[in-house]
Amino acid sequence: MSRQSAFSLEGVTKKFPGVRALDKASLDVRVGEVHGLIGENGAGKSTVIKVLAGVYQPEEGLVKIGGKTLSQVTPDTVHAEGVRFIHQELHLVPHFTVTESVFLGQELSGRLGLDTKAMREDTEAFLHDVLGVDIPSNRLIRDLTTAERKLVQIARALIDDAAKVVVFDEPTAPLASDEIETVMSAIRRLKEQDIAILYVSHYLSEITDICDRVTVFRQGKTVGVFDNITNQSGGDLVYAMVGRDIADMFPAKVDRATSPGLEVVGLGDGVSFEDISLNVEKGEVLGIAGLIGSGREELIDTIYGLRKAQTGTFQLEGEPLTIKSAAQAVSAGIVLVPRDRRHDGLVLSMTVTENATLATLNQNASLGIENRRVARERTEAQIMALDIRPPNPDAVTRLLSGGNQQKVVLARWMAKAARVFIFDDPTVGVDVGAKSEIYQLIDDLATGGACVIVSSSDPVELQGICDRIAIMMRGKIIGELQTRHLSVDELVSAITGAKEIENSTYAD
Amino acid sequence: MQTKSVRHRGTRELAGYLPLIIFAGVLVYISVNAPNFLTLRNLELILMQSLPVVLVCAGLGVVVMAGGDDVVSGGIDLSIPATAVLSAGIAAVMLTQGWPLAVCGIAAFIACMIVGLLNAALVTRIGMTPLLTTLAMFVAVVGVNNVITSSRRINVDHPFIVALRAQDVLGIPLGIAVVAAVVAVIYFATHKTRWGLHLQAAGGGRDAAEISGLPVRRLLGQSFVLAAFTGFICGFFVLARGSGSSPGVQDNLMLEMVLATFLGAAFSARRVVTMWGAVLGAVLVAAISIGFKSMGVNVFWTGLIKGSLIVVVVAFSALAQRGR
Repeated sequence: MSRQSAFSLEGVTKKFPGVRALDKASLDVRVGEVHGLIGENGAGKSTVIKVLAGVYQPEEGLVKIGGKTLSQVTPDTVHAEGVRFIHQELHLVPHFTVTESVFLGQELSGRLGLDTKAMREDTEAFLHDVLGVDIPSNRLIRDLTTAERKLVQIARALIDDAAKVVVFDEPTAPLASDEIETVMSAIRRLKEQDIAILYVSHYLSEITDICDRVTVFRQGKTVGVFDNITNQSGGDLVYAMVGRDIADMFPAKVDRATSPGLEVVGLGDGVSFEDISLNVEKGEVLGIAGLIGSGREELIDTIYGLRKAQTGTFQLEGEPLTIKSAAQAVSAGIVLVPRDRRHDGLVLSMTVTENATLATLNQNASLGIENRRVARERTEAQIMALDIRPPNPDAVTRLLSGGNQQKVVLARWMAKAARVFIFDDPTVGVDVGAKSEIYQLIDDLATGGACVIVSSSDPVELQGICDRIAIMMRGKIIGELQTRHLSVDELVSAITGAKEIENSTYAD
Repeated sequence: MQTKSVRHRGTRELAGYLPLIIFAGVLVYISVNAPNFLTLRNLELILMQSLPVVLVCAGLGVVVMAGGDDVVSGGIDLSIPATAVLSAGIAAVMLTQGWPLAVCGIAAFIACMIVGLLNAALVTRIGMTPLLTTLAMFVAVVGVNNVITSSRRINVDHPFIVALRAQDVLGIPLGIAVVAAVVAVIYFATHKTRWGLHLQAAGGGRDAAEISGLPVRRLLGQSFVLAAFTGFICGFFVLARGSGSSPGVQDNLMLEMVLATFLGAAFSARRVVTMWGAVLGAVLVAAISIGFKSMGVNVFWTGLIKGSLIVVVVAFSALAQRGR
């Protein structure tokens, strides 16, 4: 049975300075289906959501809702047509009750002030009947689990009973794997009520699990629409998503000589993770994989001394080591290329030279006065080595592209002659060309005898550049995988907990 | 993992109560050492003394609800006591010159509204931080008041002002009845209406409020205007309490306002600043001030003690919020 179209985008183009974020992209979601939208970071998923939301005005193309072309696409007209968005961030007030949160901005008035009784009853009825959960309506948001908060967010979008199309943007990203099913079953119930659902996610196992059809974006184009999604579709989707040239992006895997490097035993921060033991040899790239909320980001921060460790010990090249602050980590030769380079890694208003020499001012200074000529010469050498563009040591860092900014951070640490490099989501917001250069640099670091840790949310990236990958889930390492004969699908199922890890090397 | 986070929350809950426990301890100490402290007569005196603080606390409570309870980046209005003193100064000068009460009231009202609107414009239009804006406004407004009153004491014996201090209606002092009515109206507006819920959402989660389509900047602006209005009313109670306008009242008023409002968060089930909590906090703080006086504690030591209490209250509210 071919159902009618709930909404569609046809030939939509959206340009930003220097990039076509969408290039004649199209998308068609039908009534009563869950439609997956997948693509790598930067493929145009979030742009298409913003076009549909009326936040971005496209240069070309049509937006149709219920077969009718919208002449004006603004947040108000879209809302009036029954399109609702469940954003990735929860955006809830921590000290509000469930009822107050659901009705925020759309309160029911009684004769004297608010009709709290009606709102409470509506909230409980909606959660029970539509989403199939029972959450006490007077509980405070901050006392709910993340999955329950997600359901409150969904209830808020749908409580007015006018929703025809619901867009879920990474709904499971903040959830632990045992919470995912709660949200998934709520989405299935919405589908049974003939609501069209666009489901945007990185997690292919979820996509194949819940979606009826899937559209794949690559570099702003629609590269495939899959009509019959089964649990076996994962491979085809990856192929369409990443394209043919996936293997070329990554350096060839070679055996490198290794010797003892950084060893972490029994590390725990008392909140987000516990009993983490890791070992990175010199000349090895170790990946750390895990969903948001797995404790992966907190672990990285702790190894770098940004968070306090409650338990655990460090050893570097056989020598015991104390890391209580980032300064201690850096002086021991452990450096971090942070996930949020704009906030944590770079002073954007300074020049490339100033940023690149921030950690090595002592070497470029005599009697406390900076020797600018030496600093500049060293930076020029780094710019050559890393191919930073534009090759101008006086360029203001803000004006560089994401990939080149990342290289400036790297240039600083290479000047420092660090021994352990930690990369935290190194290619977020970086274009494809710069990505493969960063992968090559990571590979070169390992070949040069450094220990490299790559923490990433991108399974393709981890599989491509790492020698081994440790998988984290709910604050623990649940296994380690060798990447030599590992497929991205196997890795993804391990990360999402869809499949138990076999042949794990972690046990011994 | 689960048990750990629960235990963690438990310590935070406890940290939220600690300011109250400390205050209770101080009060017990006072009532043991000052024999007449816990008499009905004295409790009425405490209530009467607390009225100006109660009013400015209600105003600050509204601003904190709209801007969030982070003292530095959230909503705060330090200028309310200065506004109150300005209102008192204008009224005192004009009353002694023989103007009718209504005219004096209107003049004071207009002056206070200008302060409130300026605060609102500086914070929401230009984007200045409330802490710096209202601190500067405090200094400026006190300066204006010093010009108006020539920085000297002005005695006021207008019957209305005297009635606020001394007259009873139905056995309740008039002053207490008026303040109770004002607070009740503000309580209803901030806790029982759509506007109040929006106000609390704006302060509790600005992103959430904006995503829900609430006019966050306008709500914050309105809170500053309402705060200035409480300052306007407070001016008359400042006159009543001191039988006129005297220079320097604003300093103590500001100290007690900040202390009481943030102390009040400990009274609320959600551990946030509420109208009810702010008002109770104001009464408690007045009780401690009077208690120390009746024990004969040196007035300079009282300053140190109150300052320390502010540090303790703010420190524990920071602890209670950590990781929230």
